[in-house]
Amino acid sequence: MYREFLPYLIFLTIGTPWIGAFIVWVTSDNRPRALNFLASAFSLIAAIAALLLLDQSQWTATNEVSFQLPMGPFIGDMTFVADGLGVYLAVIATVIGSLTVIFSIGYMAGSAQLSRYYALVLLFIGSMCGLVLSGNLLFLFLFWEATAFCSYALISFHNDDPKAVAAGIKALIITQLGGVGLLIGIVIAAANLPDLQVSTFLAQSGSLPSNILAVIAFSFLFAAIAKSAQVPLHVWLPDAMEAPTPVSALIHAATMVNAGVYLLARFYPSFVPVTGWTTIVITVGILSALLAAGMAIMSNDLKRVLAYSTVSQLGYMVTGVGIGAIFQSQFYLFSHSIFKALLFLGAGAIIHELGTRDMREMGNLWKRMPQVAIPFLIGAAALVGLPFFNGYWSKELLIEAAFEYNLVVFGLLVIGAGITAFYASRMCWMVFFTKPQAAFESFAPVSSPHRPHVHWSMLLAIFILAINVLFAWLTAGRFALWLRAVLPYHAPYILHGHDPATLISWATIFSISALATLSVTILAIGAWWWRVRSDRPADVSGRMSLAIRWLDFAFNRSVSGIASVTMSAAGLLQKTQTGQLNWNTVGIAMALIALLIILVGIR
Amino acid sequence: MGLPPFVWLILWLILSAPFVYIIGRIDVRTGSRRYLAHWLSLLCMALAWVAFGRVLTDFFGAGNSTSDVSPDFVSQATWRLGAITMRFDGLSLLLAALVLTLTTAILIYSRSYIGRSEGAEKHYALLLILCGVMIGLGSAGDLFNLWLWFEAMAIASYPLVVFYHRDRTSLEAGIKYLVQSSAGSVFILLGISLVFLSTGSLDVLEIRQAIESAPTGTPLWVIAGVLFFIGFGIKVALVPLHTWLPDAHAQAPSGISAILSAVVIEAGLIALLRALSALGGASSTWGALLIGFGVLNMILGNLIALRQKQVKRLLAFSSISQVGYMVVGIGVALYLGTTAGSQAGFFHLLSHGLMKGLAFLAVGALLFAVQHGLGEPGSEENHHSLNIEDLNGAAQRYPIIVLVFSLALLGLGGLPPLVGFMSKWQIMVAGAQANDTIILIVLLIAGLSSVLSLGYYAPLINAMYRRNQATVISQGRSVPLSMLIPLIVIGISIVILGIVPILAGWLTIPAARALMAAFGQ
Amino acid sequence: MSVTQALFAGIIFILAIGLYGLLASRHLIKVVISLQIMVKSAILALIAAGQAVGQINLAQSVALTVIVVDTIAAVLALALIVQIKHHTGGLDAAELNRLKH
Repeated sequence: MYREFLPYLIFLTIGTPWIGAFIVWVTSDNRPRALNFLASAFSLIAAIAALLLLDQSQWTATNEVSFQLPMGPFIGDMTFVADGLGVYLAVIATVIGSLTVIFSIGYMAGSAQLSRYYALVLLFIGSMCGLVLSGNLLFLFLFWEATAFCSYALISFHNDDPKAVAAGIKALIITQLGGVGLLIGIVIAAANLPDLQVSTFLAQSGSLPSNILAVIAFSFLFAAIAKSAQVPLHVWLPDAMEAPTPVSALIHAATMVNAGVYLLARFYPSFVPVTGWTTIVITVGILSALLAAGMAIMSNDLKRVLAYSTVSQLGYMVTGVGIGAIFQSQFYLFSHSIFKALLFLGAGAIIHELGTRDMREMGNLWKRMPQVAIPFLIGAAALVGLPFFNGYWSKELLIEAAFEYNLVVFGLLVIGAGITAFYASRMCWMVFFTKPQAAFESFAPVSSPHRPHVHWSMLLAIFILAINVLFAWLTAGRFALWLRAVLPYHAPYILHGHDPATLISWATIFSISALATLSVTILAIGAWWWRVRSDRPADVSGRMSLAIRWLDFAFNRSVSGIASVTMSAAGLLQKTQTGQLNWNTVGIAMALIALLIILVGIR
Repeated sequence: MGLPPFVWLILWLILSAPFVYIIGRIDVRTGSRRYLAHWLSLLCMALAWVAFGRVLTDFFGAGNSTSDVSPDFVSQATWRLGAITMRFDGLSLLLAALVLTLTTAILIYSRSYIGRSEGAEKHYALLLILCGVMIGLGSAGDLFNLWLWFEAMAIASYPLVVFYHRDRTSLEAGIKYLVQSSAGSVFILLGISLVFLSTGSLDVLEIRQAIESAPTGTPLWVIAGVLFFIGFGIKVALVPLHTWLPDAHAQAPSGISAILSAVVIEAGLIALLRALSALGGASSTWGALLIGFGVLNMILGNLIALRQKQVKRLLAFSSISQVGYMVVGIGVALYLGTTAGSQAGFFHLLSHGLMKGLAFLAVGALLFAVQHGLGEPGSEENHHSLNIEDLNGAAQRYPIIVLVFSLALLGLGGLPPLVGFMSKWQIMVAGAQANDTIILIVLLIAGLSSVLSLGYYAPLINAMYRRNQATVISQGRSVPLSMLIPLIVIGISIVILGIVPILAGWLTIPAARALMAAFGQ
Repeated sequence: MSVTQALFAGIIFILAIGLYGLLASRHLIKVVISLQIMVKSAILALIAAGQAVGQINLAQSVALTVIVVDTIAAVLALALIVQIKHHTGGLDAAELNRLKH
């Protein structure tokens, strides 16, 4: 492949979805077939372009530029760099994006305002690619904001439903708060560095005074925590499940939430010297991994379980970045996107056919929807880390890195793996293998012999993802080599002391950490099995669960507490607008006197 | 004649207004009602643009191009008549461009909005006067002149605010606006007399020289500065002098609200800066004061806007908060003595003018469409104002209007790549270059209040894109092209300026330089 | 006490009266009268300042202009008040309270 195709490929990856968004937007809602076709076509073109970028001849090092547009003195150049960190995420965004769009053909059939839906999804895909391929900090922020906006618009897509609207606003505010952090960091960087290029930042961050670098580091961290829904800013993600499920799969599992991890990984070499930064990253990651996993056990809403699971798995990735295992973290991100998207889409098919999200109303789906059950279980197996699905490899490599870093971290991550296995087993059991609970038996379809017919588009998307789960891990070694080649600032952190060729090998399988994790996992599955056997209810109770429930409650309450405090403050201020003329003039006089006192008094 | 082009421009606009009025009245009297006043005012506006073209060539031709790096550059065209001095510099250029653009847009827009209603000819004539007077305000070279144009602007705006003079809420808004504005002008006069007393001159440049060469600082001009702040600050809606604004901007006809929010506030700010530049000796003090006021504006404006249910009132409080950003940008520039901040502040002035103007025009268009469901404007009974829930589902029937409205709102909320983000970005970078902790905290507050503002912009946009339409929407009438065209044009410019902000550089850079020169930096 | 000082004391006194009236009056006519008083004090200040710096001619022309402009503003204010009386039936500023919060 010729190098000169590179700018075109980048343009196609980022630009095609946007052009598609515009075209879809102006297409009428009364032509759903045209909309379906256009949306799928545009996203597929972008996906192919992104896949073509995986070719070795296109690889660009971080300090080189793939594509550049000068934009004047205030902004610097709009650059795009197709290096390893970026391209893999772009591939995920476009491929999973197009699969999601295909899935939507079936899922959103008959919905109103379809053009708005597809336009927003396409806009999102383009923005996400722009975010990860951007070589200019300002544009990174720009795309960051664009994804946040699309996420908001899609969460509250069914905007006649007040729950969806509230969830959208919550997500918007929290991610935008993170955005302020990112903006402050970038602004300070812009004020202290010659230009806004990412490569400049990575190269010259060492020359910044340490307190400035610390401010930037923690601001970026704050932004990443908000975007990737880590504790304590995770509360928006479970509520965001009000979005249509393909949106949940794309945005809240596979792509946007990864942006935070991407941000941390991208700027890791610059922030490592900041005292306490890596510690906090690891702490946040572990807290999220464990706490969210615990909350997943408590939930009865299928999508909420998956949402908490996402928070937890992102916690693993964040921890990975914190301990310096950049490759493992990115590989985990890659694998997780695939199997989590698979799980969400499978859940979407189930929810679409059954009309409910409550797991207590589901059951026996193993017999009734085997075409969905098998891929879903494959995804669940990957989540749990059963050999030899892609989840297994990525989890083992990450935990092995933790093992070499710090035994406490290792231990906690292994415990997390156990909890993961536990809630995953619970989920699969409740959805597929058991009868619906007695209280919910009135839900007719389950006891009827009717076999739900799943739309071909939904099945297609699910199958493709399942195949990827089964085989995509084979590229691990190549991925590692590539990262090392094109990330000059990260190279010391990529598989330090390891040989990429040995990644997928018997040595990994039989390492101590792998065996330990596997045994804990099997123990956890066994624990659930034992629970079922002894006829314990599906709802987990006990002191531990009470503690977790209380924590969850506390987090949500503090967020809504902040919102209500703001509104009360606004209410107080509102009282100053009395509408009385005399009050207004007194206000003027008071201001005059106050200013006089301040200024003349100071002299 | 020896008059510089900008004086011609001002004179033309003011003198053509009575003709428009008279012809309009004749039109009404003879009963033919053929929109004569409207067409005539458009014609006058077109000629004004020609005059402005001359002004531009004059301004940029004499070497004041954007590549000119001379720091001592002060004025371009000066005109004296006795003690009156008129000076046209970068600040004047910025204001003139903004005023002319928006007035043209509103004139086109008003064709259907004001249409044939009673007092239409008065409306057009007053708009022309307002336009000319504001350009004059920007070019005032001595303090008294400044006050004169400022007062003329206020007087021209009073009847426009009370256009629906049968509606008691409009009257109420008008009287509060008038009383507070007049109080302000008294303070300005007192300030002028203090300055006059201490320096013996009214010319801005002479005053500054006198102050700089004075042996010791006296509190007289500090007091004068405070009086200027309060007096002009009422027009600029600095908190706590802002209380008239929500009422006046909500009750005026939407085109007038657009002018008020988009231009009159900015004109007040420029007048304040001119007056303060005369007292330039303590520019860092003024800068700090501006920053303080700005923070108050941002916080109060955004918080109260969160609780608003009426759309126009929400936009009015949003204006209050946007003034905060402008003032912070300029305040930072004065405090630190850098050009970057003032350029950012002026860019925000320009972008806010466009965005808020567009927002009000769009609301006006929607209001026009659903008016008959709400009660005739200006009627004594049943004047029900436009609430957020009245706009539910508007996107299906009025897609273009809702789209440009959403663009304006998102731009105001600071979402890239619209121009609102670009101006805020520049303000923040300018502030960050200071490496001053207090300013960084101010920037943080600015960022946070931007996020806060999304809390009321987003639900509004969301409401418009709903599926279930409000009753008034489904019964709404269609919006004529004359109202749509200004909306679309301004909407496109918001997007373009956001992507390529350097396009506005030919306006903001001279303004910034003129400001810093005026303050003796 | 010199003439100038007495003048300025007088100006402040008049200003205070006007300001008090503005803040405390509820009747709209009283408010307008108070505003007028304040403007007069400002005009006096201009004249006094002009006298003190020896530019009495400039001050006089300025003062005359201010009187003219201010008259226009006062006329507008009174016209507005007439409309208010006509459509509301009262002139109490406290009653004009529909627009709030």
